[in-house]
Amino acid sequence: MSAAAASEASRFGRFEVLIAERRLLVDGRPIALGSRAFDLLAALVARRDRVVSKDELMDVVWPGLVVEDNNLQVQISALRKVLGAQAIATVAGRGYQFTLAAPAPGSPPAVEQRAARAPDRAGAGPVRPARLLVADDNKVNRLLLCRSLELMGHEVASADSGRTALEKLRGEHFDLLLLDLEMPEIDGFGLLEQRADDAALSEVPVIVTSSLEGAAQVARCIELGADDYLHKPVNPVLLKARVESSLERKRLRDQQRELLARLAPGSGEAPLSAGMLSTPRRVEVTLLAARLHDVDALAAAQPAHDTLELLGSWTTLMLDAIEGHGGRVHQISGDGVAAVFGSGEHVDAGVASWSATQAALEMVQLVAMFNAERSASGKDPVVAGIGIASGEVLAGLAGTPRRAAYVCVGSAVQRAVRLAAQATPSIGVALIDGATHAALAGRAASEAVPAAGTKADAKAGPVFALRTG
Amino acid sequence: MTMNEAVIDPHTFDELQANAGADFVAELVDTFAEEAPQLIDEMRSALDTGSTERFRRAAHSLKSNSSTFGAARLAALARALELEGLPPDASGIDAAARELETTLAALRALARA
Repeated sequence: MSAAAASEASRFGRFEVLIAERRLLVDGRPIALGSRAFDLLAALVARRDRVVSKDELMDVVWPGLVVEDNNLQVQISALRKVLGAQAIATVAGRGYQFTLAAPAPGSPPAVEQRAARAPDRAGAGPVRPARLLVADDNKVNRLLLCRSLELMGHEVASADSGRTALEKLRGEHFDLLLLDLEMPEIDGFGLLEQRADDAALSEVPVIVTSSLEGAAQVARCIELGADDYLHKPVNPVLLKARVESSLERKRLRDQQRELLARLAPGSGEAPLSAGMLSTPRRVEVTLLAARLHDVDALAAAQPAHDTLELLGSWTTLMLDAIEGHGGRVHQISGDGVAAVFGSGEHVDAGVASWSATQAALEMVQLVAMFNAERSASGKDPVVAGIGIASGEVLAGLAGTPRRAAYVCVGSAVQRAVRLAAQATPSIGVALIDGATHAALAGRAASEAVPAAGTKADAKAGPVFALRTG
Repeated sequence: MTMNEAVIDPHTFDELQANAGADFVAELVDTFAEEAPQLIDEMRSALDTGSTERFRRAAHSLKSNSSTFGAARLAALARALELEGLPPDASGIDAAARELETTLAALRALARA
């Protein structure tokens, strides 16, 4: 439909994705990838202008199959192993996004970098192609509006009634709705009213197009949440300007939301996912802390850029493991990550401790894989410790109106952090406290380790090392 | 040609062709030629059954489409029907139907030109 969408740019610095041939080249050499991993890569590349949800990716990679999240996790990890951990960003609670645009640092010279980037830009075009829905019962109006929007490079679908439009909006993704007011069954006003009560529908901006006369109609549309109003017959120049402006506003809103989700994990979806975010409360949860040991020594031995890249990659892997098992990250400190499991309304202690344990075991595997990758490029391995503790915490959003963060407060939080600090290859890289051990009820293999640390730890009971082999 | 100019505003029609493409506009004229007589029928049926809202809606659609093609005279007739509500007799509809014939002939000629 649009020439811009058809010319799929496939070169990302050192990497070249040949969609039709199902091959990935690194520095011009083919790399062996499993077919699911390639499907996943192709899906992420095709949708690289946005965050793709896990559900959507699983639908593409395993169409018609019901698979567990961790299958996706494994494929993501495999791709990160080839492309580098930063190539695929995890956006807390929302999914994944392919991030490579410019060539990877260090490979082609600057001139080539610009050349490699150019087709990417040309592919996006001056107007970013978007998916629009035109709702109009009048065939002449509908055809003409669709034609005008297609000529601007957008992908356009149409609906001939308010009811059909609502069905399409609920079933498919659209960036913008162009809405006629006079329609049978559900008219434009009716659609706007239903949209106002539906958080998901409200995400799609609306431009009303109508030849109804009178300022009262325009005012009513704006009151009902329409972004803009265009009088029919629609002037093509105005149409282009308003559509681009609406799409740009939506793009900025989406960007802000993603940024917020990255900077303050959990806060973005707070009002929707209930849990404990909206009102602070006391809950029985399992806390997981992971930390990199001896970062100072690593930092002293290598350039600052390498250290930052290392911390970024490691944090990405840890967040993957946490989110893949339903945990919610409440702290990221560069060389440490802390998360809470079981914060939802209906999660019991057994499920929370099990999920946290599974996340910990995956972290151990991911760190081993990460170290194999580092060793292949002549770098020292990293050592990470994981601590898990269960107990009651106070959790919620805390701060001032200008700056707020999701916080967990309680002795179990500190205990998990201390266990992570104590966890080393000699006594065990993943330590769990007595309460977690009891909640697991023998479902995960572990061994008692000698008590270490403070009086508070001693009072909290025995410590166990998870068997990770 | 002078008659065409009176029925269709040449500036509006030229702009439409420039913006949407002459071939597309020729198809759009065909669609209008299929749809518009149904709007006239809908107005007659609404008048027979005393349905004010159906009448207004059909007149509104005819006005809207006429304006798109620059058919100013037909648009004015349809607008009068839309605003005045259910008429006492069919004379206004008859006038719009006659103007529609003239309009379609003019549009087809312009679209082929």
